Amino acid sequence: MDDLLPATTLDAPGPPAQAGPARLRTAPLFRHSRLNRLADRGTRFVLLACTLLVVGLIGGILYFLAIRGAAAFIPMAGNTDKVATFRQVFLSTNWDPGDGHFGILPFVAGTFAVTGLALLIAAPTGVLAGVFIAKVAPPWMRTLMRQVMDLLVGIPSVVYGIFGLTVILPLVGHAWLADAPAAGFGVSAAILAVMIVPTIVSLATDAFESLPASLDEGSQALGSTRWQSIWRVLIPAARPRLLTACVLGLGRAIGEAMAVQMVIGNNPQWILLMRQATDQTPVLRFLFTPAATLTTELVQELPNTAAGSTWNNVLFAMGLLLYLITMLLILATRRLGRQEHA
Amino acid sequence: MLNPQIPETKPVKLAVRGMNFWYGEKKILHDLSMDIHAERATAIIGPSGCGKSTFLKCFNRIHEVSSQVRVTGDMLMDGVDINRGGIDQVDLRRRVGMVFQKPNPFPRSIYENVAFGPRLFGVRDRATLDDLVEDALRKAALWDEVKDRLKDSATGMSGGQQQRLCIARALAVHPEVLLMDEPCSALDPIATSKIEELIFELKDSLTIVIVTHNMQQAARVSDYTAFFWLGKMVEMDLTERIFTTPRERMTEDYITGRFG
Repeated sequence: MDDLLPATTLDAPGPPAQAGPARLRTAPLFRHSRLNRLADRGTRFVLLACTLLVVGLIGGILYFLAIRGAAAFIPMAGNTDKVATFRQVFLSTNWDPGDGHFGILPFVAGTFAVTGLALLIAAPTGVLAGVFIAKVAPPWMRTLMRQVMDLLVGIPSVVYGIFGLTVILPLVGHAWLADAPAAGFGVSAAILAVMIVPTIVSLATDAFESLPASLDEGSQALGSTRWQSIWRVLIPAARPRLLTACVLGLGRAIGEAMAVQMVIGNNPQWILLMRQATDQTPVLRFLFTPAATLTTELVQELPNTAAGSTWNNVLFAMGLLLYLITMLLILATRRLGRQEHA
Repeated sequence: MLNPQIPETKPVKLAVRGMNFWYGEKKILHDLSMDIHAERATAIIGPSGCGKSTFLKCFNRIHEVSSQVRVTGDMLMDGVDINRGGIDQVDLRRRVGMVFQKPNPFPRSIYENVAFGPRLFGVRDRATLDDLVEDALRKAALWDEVKDRLKDSATGMSGGQQQRLCIARALAVHPEVLLMDEPCSALDPIATSKIEELIFELKDSLTIVIVTHNMQQAARVSDYTAFFWLGKMVEMDLTERIFTTPRERMTEDYITGRFG
């Protein structure tokens, strides 16, 4: 700022002319124009305003969700219907809005089941593919695979959904289920896994590439086979960053609505349906019972409910829950990232 | 240092004959031949880029981990060709240990670093592992410093301790040859002198080949010295002769600091 530097310093005459040869007769004034200084001060406010806008948006969404969600439990403005208790909503598996039952456990369980399954498939695949790209593949393949992974991350989820709906579902139904519908956790998790694998692969590749080459050399110089070196040295050394990669993948999976909604079957009563089934293959039944998750239920029902009704407010409470889960995951990623530096 | 008047009594451990080496298309080493005796320390000196580290790494073929390389000529260990004699790379590296320029301990405990090698070869028994770890750490003159904190992370040690840990790690699988690629270049003078003492003791039981930039170090620790220049071996002889009466003018110039 100009008040810190007295103008006299800038304007002070230089040392006597005989001090050096070939000096400028008149040095330029090296001062910013008034407009420049004004713009400098203005910049600060523009940057601050943009930051506040982003923070405000995030905070605003949280506030909106919290208010509408709370209206389900508290008689307040925005609630024109009956009040539900906390217990009836969060600890009940009975979802029957027409009859006044708003237990959201099926959706919470559905979300965790489908994302957990997806991660079970995607995490090992992604980590091993990352090792392959970073440490085993020849350079041309490394470049190619990195570009492919970056492309895959950018594919809109609805495209995966269409693919699942029109290709995978009929295929699985035909091959395994005697042409019975195949919608449910199995196919949803598979589609989700395909969606999050590129993210995990990209981050895992970065993690392995950032390891010093001396670790690999050191272990192979002791007589490790390539596999031993990967398994015993590289993966443990990259563990914090690999966990971060998986948590980020999980975050993406939990928030995904479109693709899952298209293949999961959208059945809020899935827990009931599974209890009633009496066949001998509980695993298959679990994988192929039409089900629902927090996100799919929101996509499905939010447009069809009246504002202010308990039903509508409970859906907002579900949105709030989803928001909080995602926040927790992001915080967990931060925590993991910090561990690495320690 | 060996006395030139007394004839060599130790057998040849590594024999190199007419060896050439390429990195991809680029030829790095030209027609090298030398004998390396068991239970002796052989130093390789020469200016940067003369191929001395490359040559060293050929003895355990660690290049092949990350690069496309080609070797012609013979490299015999106990009379068996290490490139073509049907020796498995992994087995070769167990027998020919290596210590790198920069200490590279694994990010684990001190104990796990030393036990790493034996575990690779299926040693699971706790008592055996304990013995191997203690033995290797004693040989590397590190036991007294770390015996009370074997569970501590290796990355928290000083640079000199880390390098001795890497030596212990290499010794734990009982190698026959120990390759050292400028093992002291990242260390302070005190840590360096400890490593040099160690080399002196270790060569009673194994063959040591050490690449070094530091001519005083070569003179202090080695029995034989080879001088490399531009991928060729100019001269190899007993260290005492190389440093007092070299046959080649170029060797003398390098040793006296006239180039390099």
